[in-house]
Amino acid sequence: MATYGDLIQVRDLKKYYNRGAIKALDGVSVDISKGDVMVVIGPSGSGKSTFLRSLNLLEEPTAGSIVFEGVDITKKRYKDGDGKLVKVDIDQHRQKMGMVFQHFNLFPHMTILDNMTLAPVKVKGMDKKDAEEKALALLDRVGLKDRAGAYPIQLSGGQKQRVAIVRALCMEPEVMLFDEPTSALDPEMVGEVLDVMKELAREGMTMVVVTHEMGFAREVGNRVLFMDGGKLLEEGSPTDIFEHPKHPRLQDFLGKVL
Amino acid sequence: MSNFIKPENFSLILPYIELFQQGLIVTVLLAACTVLIGFVLAIVLAVIRMSNFQPFLMLARAFPGLFGFFEYDKQGNKLDSGFAYQLGRFNPFGFLATAYVEVMRSTPVLVQMWVIYYGVFKVFFTIPRFKMLGFISADRFIPCAVTLGLNSAAYLCEIIRSGLQSVDGGQTEAARSLGLKQMQNLRYIVLPQALKNILPAIANEFVVIIKESAVAYTIGVMDIMGAVNAVKSANSIIMEPLIVAAGIYFCLCFPASKVIAYVERRMRRGDVR
Ligand SMILES: Nc1ncnc2c1ncn2[C@@H]1O[C@H](COP(=O)(O)OP(=O)(O)O)[C@@H](O)[C@H]1O
Ligand SMILES: [Mg+2]
Repeated sequence: MATYGDLIQVRDLKKYYNRGAIKALDGVSVDISKGDVMVVIGPSGSGKSTFLRSLNLLEEPTAGSIVFEGVDITKKRYKDGDGKLVKVDIDQHRQKMGMVFQHFNLFPHMTILDNMTLAPVKVKGMDKKDAEEKALALLDRVGLKDRAGAYPIQLSGGQKQRVAIVRALCMEPEVMLFDEPTSALDPEMVGEVLDVMKELAREGMTMVVVTHEMGFAREVGNRVLFMDGGKLLEEGSPTDIFEHPKHPRLQDFLGKVL
Repeated sequence: MSNFIKPENFSLILPYIELFQQGLIVTVLLAACTVLIGFVLAIVLAVIRMSNFQPFLMLARAFPGLFGFFEYDKQGNKLDSGFAYQLGRFNPFGFLATAYVEVMRSTPVLVQMWVIYYGVFKVFFTIPRFKMLGFISADRFIPCAVTLGLNSAAYLCEIIRSGLQSVDGGQTEAARSLGLKQMQNLRYIVLPQALKNILPAIANEFVVIIKESAVAYTIGVMDIMGAVNAVKSANSIIMEPLIVAAGIYFCLCFPASKVIAYVERRMRRGDVR
């Protein structure tokens, strides 16, 4: 695996509210490489969601840059290979960044299958038949093929989140962003969602995961980031972070959650 | 004139039944024209209000050296509040549309109608005197339909806006994160969910318009109230024709609102499939 970030380079990312009175992100720099499973931990309000949502510009950063596949997506325009100014098409980049939300955000007025095929058909111009075939294969893999015709309201929380994951996968993203994907689930459903995520990681999907599931971070993550007060305070392998935490705030945090 | 209701007086209305019939047609036609004008204009207004035409921000992007202060502060951070930020986001067309909506909603429709009938149509667009369907004076009916349309557009615009806003923001986030463009998100995700709130409210507005159209009579449109007045001046009775008029309005509006309530219930049931 490359030691430098060959997929995303985040530099000095800041997100302020009320003219800097609130610093949700206060200068975060990190590189993300292909195949990374990067787990972000930290206390509530430390800026984890803001960081994740900035990566696909659901949040507009106050300052800093996010270079994704060589393009700074925080800028409106960039210079291409020939030095020509080209408009940054954020919709184009978002297709390659799947996102899974705490509250699933399935489309309630569509069946599971339509939830999954909408973007491939409308955004990528994929043939409806092909998109459905692909969606069914993915549903099969998470054990939900027989629910393809159901509506989201008919599914349990764990099933909804599994659908949300494969819905994002239908777009064949380069990276998957998870914002506390198991925090809204009943305890008995957490496992089935984590299992899907583990399998994804095994297949080599690049993932950035905000979670409070320390077991998952330890077992599946290859890098763990600890954030507090909008800053990236410590970064390392799961062993570094969980066995040899250096920063007092991390030690304090781990003391509370482990 | 007798203000007491006497059953035998109702027979005095019989010769005027045709006037009531014509009045009914005028009222329904007026409401239909109003909704049509109002709906089209409301969509235009809603689109203008949602559009992100921001000339100051466009200046800032085109000439960052000169006008960058609409977007960034001195440290190069994106603004998130303050005067320059507000100006940067200012949409002049959106402002005009909002001003229009607020003015129309905050002044009486009677005043609006007189202003438009006497101040606009009589002065700028004189409509030739001819009868539509043989009994509707176009020079009075058209200004009236236009006024009611302009007025209800403001209300319908608010209905559309609040309907769109009622859809959970997470839906848009999910759609955009899948790569859907703003317009695709509106069309496939937000609008279908918003219609559940919008359609019943629009149907309700139709009922309101039927009742409000009674002001048309004040500029001489011979609607149901016109028939009431014809009976009144011929027979010096008022309560009996009023009761008939109220009955007609009721028969129009009550079933309509029942149907709306039924459809609304059906739509809500659709949620818990
Ligand atoms: N729209 C907003 N306005 C003001 N402050 C906000 C807003 N969104 C988030 N914040 C603040 O930013 C900080 C980081 O939030 P968040 O990224 O959601 O934290 P986490 O996901 O780690 O719990 C919090 O202090 C929060 O209150
Ligand atoms: Mg969060």
